[in-house]
Amino acid sequence: MVKKLIENPKKTKQKKAQMKIQQMSFMLIAVFIFFALVGMVVVSVLLNNMQRDAISLKEENAMLLASRIANSPELSCGKVYDKERTNCIDLDKAMVLLKNKEKYKKFWGVASLEIIKTYPKLAQPNNEVECTPQNYPNCNLITLVNNSETPDRYSYVALCRKEIYKGESVNKCELGIIVVGYEGIQ
Amino acid sequence: MKNKNIFQLRPKLNSQMKNKRGDLQISFSWIFAIVAGIFILVLSIYGVTKIIGIYQDQMSGKGAMSIKILTNPFESSFESAKRVLVDGGGEARIYTECSNYSVFGVQTVKTSQKVFNEWSEEDSVEVSMQNRYIFSKNPVEGRNFYVFSKPFEMPFKIADLIYITSTEDKYCFVDAPKDIEEELEYIIGEEPSANENFFVEERRANCPERSTIVCFRASETCDIFVSTTGKYVQKSGARMYYEGNALMYAAIFSEKQDYECQLDRLMKRTEQLFMLYKDKSDFVLEKSNCNSELDFELIEMINLLRDFSSSNEIITINRLAEEIENKNRYAECKLW
Repeated sequence: MVKKLIENPKKTKQKKAQMKIQQMSFMLIAVFIFFALVGMVVVSVLLNNMQRDAISLKEENAMLLASRIANSPELSCGKVYDKERTNCIDLDKAMVLLKNKEKYKKFWGVASLEIIKTYPKLAQPNNEVECTPQNYPNCNLITLVNNSETPDRYSYVALCRKEIYKGESVNKCELGIIVVGYEGIQ
Repeated sequence: MKNKNIFQLRPKLNSQMKNKRGDLQISFSWIFAIVAGIFILVLSIYGVTKIIGIYQDQMSGKGAMSIKILTNPFESSFESAKRVLVDGGGEARIYTECSNYSVFGVQTVKTSQKVFNEWSEEDSVEVSMQNRYIFSKNPVEGRNFYVFSKPFEMPFKIADLIYITSTEDKYCFVDAPKDIEEELEYIIGEEPSANENFFVEERRANCPERSTIVCFRASETCDIFVSTTGKYVQKSGARMYYEGNALMYAAIFSEKQDYECQLDRLMKRTEQLFMLYKDKSDFVLEKSNCNSELDFELIEMINLLRDFSSSNEIITINRLAEEIENKNRYAECKLW
C-alpha cells in the first residue's frame, strides 16, 4: 500500500508529460497543415497568373502575326502586281505553297493558318470550297496549316493572282482574310 | 556560525540537483519542438526556393516569348533600320542559339534574369523560331537593349535580319562610307538618347572610352575591320564575307560561328523560296499562259544554294541573283 502511494505521483507526472507531448504534436500538425494550405493557395495563385500571362502572350503573338504574315516572302505579292504593297497575298504563290504544306507546318509557329476569299462571293451557295490545283481559282479557302480546334485572330488582305482575260494574262485582286490560330492552354 | 552555514548549503545543492533533473525533463519536449520546428523550417525554405525557381523560370520564359513577339513586327515588315529600346526589366541576359540541321534551321532564344544577385538557371525556358534570324553577342547582357532590323535580299526579300545590342556595349564606327554613315545616323535619330550605344566618328580619338571600334580603313588599329571593297568583316582573327549592308551589320554584331550558321539558314530559306518560284513559274504558265522564262536560271540557283557551305560563296551567289533579277524585271510574267 505504501509502495503504491509512492508510485502514484510518478505515474501522474508521466501521464501529464505524455499529455503535453500529445498537445504539442497536435499543435505542430495544425501549424504544418496551416502552412501547407497557405502554400497551396500561393502556388495556385502563381499558376493562375502564369496561365493568364501565357494565354495573353499567345494571343498577342497571333494578333501581330495576323497583321504581318501576309508580308512574309512566302506569301507577299512583291512587285508582281504593278507595285509593292502591304497586306497583299500572291494567291498563285499560296497555291504552290499548298504543295509544300508539310515543310511549312512549323515555319510560322502558328497552330493554324488559313486564307479565305470574302469578296466576291462564290457562285455556289456552299460556304467554303477548299482550293485544289483542279478547282483554282473557283474556290475560297486555302488551308496552309490545318488545326480547326484553335482560337484565332484574323486580318484583312488583298488576294492577287494572274488570270486570262480576252486571251491575255491580266492581274486580278480580290478581298480576303488571313486567319491565324494559336494554341490555347488547358 | 561556520557549521551552520555548511548545513545551510546542503539544501541549496539539493535543489540545484533537482533543477538539473527538471531541466532534463523539459529538454525532451524542447528537443521534440526543435526537431519538428527544423523540419517545418527546412520544408518551408525548400518550398520558397522552389517557388522562386518557378518565378525565375516564368520570368525567363516570359522574356524569351516577349522577344519572339517583339520581333514579329521586324519580320514581315516594310520598315527597316528603325530601332526600338527594350527594357530588360532589371539586369538581363539574352542567349541566342542557331541550329542549321532541319529544312529552315532553328533560332533559339532564352533569357536569364538577375534575381537576388544571382542569374536564373541557364537551362531555362527556350523559345524556338524557324523564321527569325537574330544577330547579337552571345549572351548579350544589360538593363536595356536596342533592337533593329534590315531586310536581306537575294534578289527578292528573303528575311528581315534582327540585331540586338545592349546599351552597355558601345560601338564606334570610324570613317564609315557615306551610305553607311547616313544609315547609322538615321538609326541613331536626330537626338541621341542617354542610352545611345552607336557613335559615328571621323577619327578614332573621338570615340568614347571602352567602346568597340569598327573601322573601315586598314590603316587604323581597331576591334572590327570592315573591308567594303573585299566585302568581308575581320573580327577576333576570323573573316566573315558579306553581301549588302544587312549582312555587314550581322557580321559586326555576332561571332563567326553564329554568323556562318545563320547565313547557312538564310541560304536554306533562299533555296526553298527559289523552289517555290520555280513551281510558281510552272503553275502560272499552266493556269494563265504567263511565261517567266526563268526556269533554267532558277534551277542553276537552286543547285548553287544546295551546295552552300561557307560565307565566301556569297559573292558568287549574289552575282547569279543579280542576273536573275535583271531577267525577272523585264520578263513578260514577273515572278516576284
